[in-house]
Amino acid sequence: MSSQQFLYMALIAYVFSCAGSFLPRGKRWIGALALVAGMVLNALAVGLRYWYAWPMLPMYWGLPALPLCMGIIICAPAIGETEEIIEKQRLAEHRNALALIVLLTLLTVLFPRDFYLPFLRSKTIFSHLFLLCGVVGKAFFFLAAARAMAFLLLTKANADNIFSVRGEKRILRCVVWGFVFWTCSMFAGEIWSYIGWGTPVVWEDPAITMTMATWFYYICLLHLHLTKTWNIRQRIRYTAAGALVTVILNCYSDLGPFRRPF
Amino acid sequence: MTRLPAIVWRQLGGVRLTVVVLLLLVVDCAMGYWSLRGNNTVFAPLNDVGLFPWARTYGMNDLIHTAWFFTLLALLFILAINTFVCATDRVIALFKSRSRFTRPGRFALKFAPHIMHYAVIVILTGYLSSYLFSDVYPSQTLAPGTAITVPGTRVRLEFLSFDYQYYEGKRLEFFEDRVLSPEARLKLSNGVTERTAAISLNRPVRYEGYGVFMKNFAPKKRGRKNISRPYVEVSIRKDPGVSFYFTGMALFSLGLVMYAYQWLFVKAHGEERQ
Repeated sequence: MSSQQFLYMALIAYVFSCAGSFLPRGKRWIGALALVAGMVLNALAVGLRYWYAWPMLPMYWGLPALPLCMGIIICAPAIGETEEIIEKQRLAEHRNALALIVLLTLLTVLFPRDFYLPFLRSKTIFSHLFLLCGVVGKAFFFLAAARAMAFLLLTKANADNIFSVRGEKRILRCVVWGFVFWTCSMFAGEIWSYIGWGTPVVWEDPAITMTMATWFYYICLLHLHLTKTWNIRQRIRYTAAGALVTVILNCYSDLGPFRRPF
Repeated sequence: MTRLPAIVWRQLGGVRLTVVVLLLLVVDCAMGYWSLRGNNTVFAPLNDVGLFPWARTYGMNDLIHTAWFFTLLALLFILAINTFVCATDRVIALFKSRSRFTRPGRFALKFAPHIMHYAVIVILTGYLSSYLFSDVYPSQTLAPGTAITVPGTRVRLEFLSFDYQYYEGKRLEFFEDRVLSPEARLKLSNGVTERTAAISLNRPVRYEGYGVFMKNFAPKKRGRKNISRPYVEVSIRKDPGVSFYFTGMALFSLGLVMYAYQWLFVKAHGEERQ
């Protein structure tokens, strides 16, 4: 089976998982099972592409790996999460995250860019770190957006209570993790650029400007949150818009031409 | 009039200016993507000729595609000033309030964002020095037994031998019989001492302040008859910015680790105890 076929199946499993999250509480295990199945299939798709390209870097591998990474973060125990939140909020966050996973997998399936060969200069640990940290960073940014959307849906417009503060902290924690990984990715990219080309910036790849743009966007977000320059709802709206910004700035360049899946 | 410098200083360090500049940078970088797509040949010489010669030639002659880059420089300059003023103000305030901290560790962690802010300035300085003061000798071709001398110095590079590792396995048909790891052995001398070193793709050599980077090589495939002799193409660079931007990256990483630790563990557990 090809990597793309595994992705088709992963998409179906992710759709079931998303639908399963709307089932009554006692039957939600079906959705959880579908999520795990989707992640296994996604891991096979990603692993297969990596296996083909190894020891070089598979080209445009970031987008197919993104839903898998988001799934892993959703399932992993949250580090430092001490806030108690209501079930309704957790469920809304989970549904939003699953909807984003479905959307991203759908984009990967409909606009695959899996026809490029790897190149020799990508045979270094720094190229792999650049990609891997970038994917994890993006996954956290999407999860922050999912949490922000849940926050906007559930809290009243003028809410300024303990629930809002806790909600914002949960969102900001995702952004901080995303920013840490995104910065690691940028630094790994800079080291790769230096050892590979001898220059601080490789202008041959226009996507470098998008990486910078995303970094500036999230630096701005951190400044807004930490200095409380805007009010809480404006800040959360900005975080939710991060999903769209990340798709435009970072996923668009990984998309190929439209291909009919079946 | 005496208050004017204080007002200017306060305005320059304002968080509103930070937000505006950062948002403009997002838009400008996104425009840069569209300008670079299909036009990266305009920007590629920037790494070889330096900022001013590039700006006078490529930059000014293709303003439609390069305007975003000049805007980027201006915005980064404003951001650097804003970052310096803001961080300096806060570091001074932090020192003044040091008696409030009973634990030195907690006090040190408070410097995390300021370390990151200063690190950004160091990185940007490094990039600027790189594009202003680098000595670059691009595309020097060496065949086995031949040598080149870096102009104006006694640094000499002699190409001794070439070693290849081929792609093994059948996973990618295109790569069958292709060279996966080219390695060239060079003799480096400065008129007094000499040593040998191996360079490869992603493995440069540093000697007497110069970095030697492999740009290209031949043959690329096993048994190619049309290339009589192997060669390597190297670029030689003396880049004073490298130490700056690597130091900046190390500083930023330190600040980031301190900040993440403070945010994710110290604050969270502090609140839990409360």
